[in-house]
Amino acid sequence: MQPAASPVTRDLEREIADLMVQALNLTVASADIDPAAPLYREGLGLDSIDILEIALVVSKRYGVEIKADSENNHQIFSSLTALADFIAERRTK
Amino acid sequence: MLLLRLMSWISLRLGRRLSRSVLYGIAAYFFVFAPRARRHAREYLCRVLGRPATPIDRFRQIFAFASTIHDRVYLLNQRFELFQFSIDGEELVRAAQAQGGGALLIGAHLGSFEATRALGQRQAGLEIAMAMYANNARKINSALTAICPRLKLDIIELGHMPAMLEIRARLAAGSFVGMLGDRTLGGESVEQVMFLGAPASFPLGPLRAAAMLHCPVYFMAAFYLGGNRYHIVFEQIADFSTTGPGVGANAISAAVRQYVAVVERHCRLYPYNWFNFLDFWQAPPAGVPLVSGTE
Repeated sequence: MQPAASPVTRDLEREIADLMVQALNLTVASADIDPAAPLYREGLGLDSIDILEIALVVSKRYGVEIKADSENNHQIFSSLTALADFIAERRTK
Repeated sequence: MLLLRLMSWISLRLGRRLSRSVLYGIAAYFFVFAPRARRHAREYLCRVLGRPATPIDRFRQIFAFASTIHDRVYLLNQRFELFQFSIDGEELVRAAQAQGGGALLIGAHLGSFEATRALGQRQAGLEIAMAMYANNARKINSALTAICPRLKLDIIELGHMPAMLEIRARLAAGSFVGMLGDRTLGGESVEQVMFLGAPASFPLGPLRAAAMLHCPVYFMAAFYLGGNRYHIVFEQIADFSTTGPGVGANAISAAVRQYVAVVERHCRLYPYNWFNFLDFWQAPPAGVPLVSGTE
């Protein structure tokens, strides 16, 4: 189990949710995204192209590369919290 | 798979000319026993020819389809000397290749995809990774390995999460990625575009991805001309490599329309090369009867 998100991650989560809503033109408000729900398919309902868009935005904004061969892709996109944790550990900007 | 391996062995042993005689039988079988495909094929032929489809039209289409499948055996086994190829637009892909940024090649169920892939590889040294849906990918993979066991095919499975990240990695490495742009699975975003006189749904996905990845997009197809002749076409659909960040929805929609226009033009040039034997339009064609009086 993941430890409970720290306040820093909580802020980052909100920021990433804003980025996603903006980049993907989501109809949901960023505050309404359940941080524990899966991002791909069921949950937020994103498809593979949306995942690509997130990877591009995250690379540009935080300098974190999400690659195709990242074995933990499913973990990274398993929830907003997981994505925020992944970025928090590796961000260079 | 055993049957396929046997068929492939017979084809290679008997030679193309002799084993082609079997094709008439196969084509005749489908001509008679595929009523649903027949109805859809008729609708297409009627639209593209602008007149009711005759049995001869239908047979020509089925025979072209059977020929391209049969020729796959030879193309995969690199028996290029059996065929006559002509190419349009080779300089375009060569230029794209020289730039090194990779490109998206979008085809359709139009002509022989295998001929394009095989010839692209031989002629221009193009390595094309094929992106396709998982079920098809697995089926095609095992079928092709049965036909040509030493073959190493580069297939990207669509419909799972990292698919587009994989495509991005190939393009970044300067590879070409081939995709089909004329089928929708349902659930994805589509654009209604006029195609041969009526609106049909085309997926936005391939061109959306191209826009995001800032790569050029080419239409690619190999048309079966009869006998042992194929004509291969590359044509530019869009070039997102020079556009800034955030390509608008309008540009993507324009690219889809351009793709459909190119597909339509080639359907009219090579009407019997359309191999979508399914319900492509939602509404029947207006004005022209689907079935001729004699059928």
